Amino acid sequence: MAEKRIVLSKCGSIDPQDIGTYIAKGGFIAFIKARDKMKPQAIIAEIKKSGLTGRGGAGFNTGLKWELARSIKAKAKYLLCNADEGEVGTFKDKYILSNDPFGLIEGMCIAGLAIGAQQAFIYLRNEYHFLYDPLVRAVGQVREKGYLKHMDIQVFEGAGAYICGEESALMNSIEGMRGESRYKPPYPPTRGLWGLPTIINNVETLMNVPHIINNGAAWFSAMGTGRSKGTKVFSVSGDVSRPGVYELEMGSTLRELVVGLAGADDLKAVQIGGATGNILPASMLDTPLSHETYLGSGAVVALNSGRDIIDVVQNDMHFLNDESCGKCTPCREGTEVMLEIFGRLARGEGHEGDINSLDALARAMAVSSLCGLGQAAAVPVLDSLRYFYNDYIDRINQSHFLRSYLGGELFKSEEGIR
Amino acid sequence: MGNVNVNIDGRKIRVREGSTILEAATANGITIPTLCHIKGQVPSGVCRVCVVEVEGSRTMMGACHTPVAEGMVIHSKSPKVIAVRKVIVELLLTAHTGDCVNDSNAENCALHNLASDYEVGAPHFNVRNPRFYPAEESNPYVKRDMSKCILCRKCVKVCGEVVRKDVLSIGYRGFRSKVVSGFDEALTAEACRDCLKCIEHCPTGALSAPARV
Repeated sequence: MAEKRIVLSKCGSIDPQDIGTYIAKGGFIAFIKARDKMKPQAIIAEIKKSGLTGRGGAGFNTGLKWELARSIKAKAKYLLCNADEGEVGTFKDKYILSNDPFGLIEGMCIAGLAIGAQQAFIYLRNEYHFLYDPLVRAVGQVREKGYLKHMDIQVFEGAGAYICGEESALMNSIEGMRGESRYKPPYPPTRGLWGLPTIINNVETLMNVPHIINNGAAWFSAMGTGRSKGTKVFSVSGDVSRPGVYELEMGSTLRELVVGLAGADDLKAVQIGGATGNILPASMLDTPLSHETYLGSGAVVALNSGRDIIDVVQNDMHFLNDESCGKCTPCREGTEVMLEIFGRLARGEGHEGDINSLDALARAMAVSSLCGLGQAAAVPVLDSLRYFYNDYIDRINQSHFLRSYLGGELFKSEEGIR
Repeated sequence: MGNVNVNIDGRKIRVREGSTILEAATANGITIPTLCHIKGQVPSGVCRVCVVEVEGSRTMMGACHTPVAEGMVIHSKSPKVIAVRKVIVELLLTAHTGDCVNDSNAENCALHNLASDYEVGAPHFNVRNPRFYPAEESNPYVKRDMSKCILCRKCVKVCGEVVRKDVLSIGYRGFRSKVVSGFDEALTAEACRDCLKCIEHCPTGALSAPARV
């Protein structure tokens, strides 16, 4: 199946610094339709009927979320666009923001009408600093055209923390506090930024909104699978010959994406969803990609037979340990303990108990951590234990061999055994 | 606000709407362990030892901060919950260094008591570099032995929200987090006076009153 470009339809054919080219391609028609001909409730009903889900990874129904925020009476409401694309191997939002910022702003304008927000923020990750000026210019052009009379959009730059892509940490960051997650409930649509109803949507989610308003909910929900409608933008990287951003209908198989479009060869495994993503062996290439199976943020990293899965997981864990905010126990201590175990496995100092420790830790972290980081940190560990169990056994056997080979000289000392 | 019906460990309980699982359980004689919760204060949900199973939820919920809802079915002592709590206590013990075991205050250490309640022995986890800090006795009112700190953040909360002095805060990130005063400076007598509230709330003896000379 070929690509189906809807979100990316204008990327490359417009000048991202000139609103005129965007309008010439049919831009802001959806916004004018929503503003002049539709009531907020009608916009929400349309989005809800389309079955649009959050594209950041959680996959919550966007219309439901908006409805919740709309239904609450408050003195102010906020709309946040999550452009803190920190997930390892994800670069779709960068592509979208650099090529079609107006599509995002139009989506935000419509979302603002629907939920009744007066203030919106685009939370741009620090590493995308080069996009700050272009985005501010784009917002300025939209404002000049008079499309931002109901709501103001401010581009807010993060400080470079992975955790701030988590919605509650993102709000803390905007409020000027430490970037740490909050417990839920209360969820942001009821109590978010400064205690007021807040909608947080991914860049790609908001990009879909104008297309749904233009073409109708039925057109959108005709694409995709049962719970996942529309298309998904994937960032493919790793051992492929054509890495890049691809947009496919929901429910397309991993094989179409990684082998067909990106040209992977000699695959051993694929990691879907970044450092906290599932690791699937090559035998599962026919898995469809949707919220029901595996999707995450749409990051797909191909790993060929030259890669060692335990090294990959260790690398993930190193990243997660570094980025853990340190608020809750399972994530703060658990990632550190896991990293210690992976370090020993890599040095040839592993023992049998390590597999049980990893398994028990991962299971506990997945259910007891405060936010998605700690919960998902367990995913690559559990997946590698499930599909690549023999790799762990090999490492432990190698450790035994090393110990016997070295005649105990090195390991007799207290420090050696640990 | 009305009342809602919940089921905790097979017992039908009627509680005020808006109260937390912990409050509902405590009011009915069901104990759920906590390390970071201060009664009457906004919960922080940091330590995670109070996690309980809520039917229909993907993950376990912190009892101290999750409000009850009509028809909630909660298991506070199921084997799954106990197993997870044991791992959390073991993780806390792993990083809880210092002379605690020999210390005369060991029986006052809430973590050690919890560990013996849940029959968690010596932790079999390791960390690369344990958090070890020299004990600080620069302040005449508070002795700080941060190696024993389990980062429950009770002292930060009390200092900020109860006493309203905001002397203590969290510094650094992740495993290297530490309760600091200012930019990780020594706690001077100018900054911290003798309210001693943080000592009252510290579960482990990381903060204690220095021996009087």
